[in-house]
Amino acid sequence: MAQIKIDGDQLIVEIEGWDKLWALKSRLEIPLANVRGATADPGITQEPKGVRAPGAYVPGVITAGTFHINGERVFWDVHHPANAVVIQLADERYTRLIIEVPNPRETVDQIEQAIAHTS
Amino acid sequence: MGRPRAFDEATAVASAAALFASRAYDGISVDDLVNHLGVHRNSLYQTFGSKRGLYLRALRWHLDEQVRPALRRNATFDNGLDFLLLAATERAPADPEVATEITRILAEFDEALTAPATSALLGDHLRARLSR
Repeated sequence: MAQIKIDGDQLIVEIEGWDKLWALKSRLEIPLANVRGATADPGITQEPKGVRAPGAYVPGVITAGTFHINGERVFWDVHHPANAVVIQLADERYTRLIIEVPNPRETVDQIEQAIAHTS
Repeated sequence: MGRPRAFDEATAVASAAALFASRAYDGISVDDLVNHLGVHRNSLYQTFGSKRGLYLRALRWHLDEQVRPALRRNATFDNGLDFLLLAATERAPADPEVATEITRILAEFDEALTAPATSALLGDHLRARLSR
């Protein structure tokens, strides 16, 4: 589970609880300028995840940590697919964050509004 | 930057516009988009950023390629105005960027046709949804 907040021009992702152990990184700070979008996407958990970077792994229990697929580096932290959110990044260590949040719809709206170009 | 995309972006956008014109935004999952567009999920995110990013691209395409040309030629809207109507009623109140697009196109309608004629035209298209 992750908590997401927007602080000024930064998106802050805090990985909570035991996931910290598996995911190795417990806090990510990303400039909003490098956030391309957020989408609630339960179905993504059915997709191939690619090759896992070295680290702890508990088969079938959790998907957490860094994965490599098609030359992209993806950060996963999902237990319950229904609450999965995909955050697409640019010019960051990770191409994409796939994380579980308490309220996907609100989280997605909050991020998309923060990066919207209103004219 | 990156590898060449293995799909035709313009076709995907047009195809997304047809899907978004058919039912509510929240009723269309990324699974639906992936299946309907025939695009890999990762490519979809890589190209459009998010579902909303794709929605905005599709809406602007609908307005630029289907609505504005017909409006300029004073022709009938052969591709329908369903996407415009759905966007106006459903997404514009929740999404300022959609609201901006809809406000702009309605102003262009008013300019081309006068406000009462625009209202009548949109009303006709709304009623036409029932008789299909």
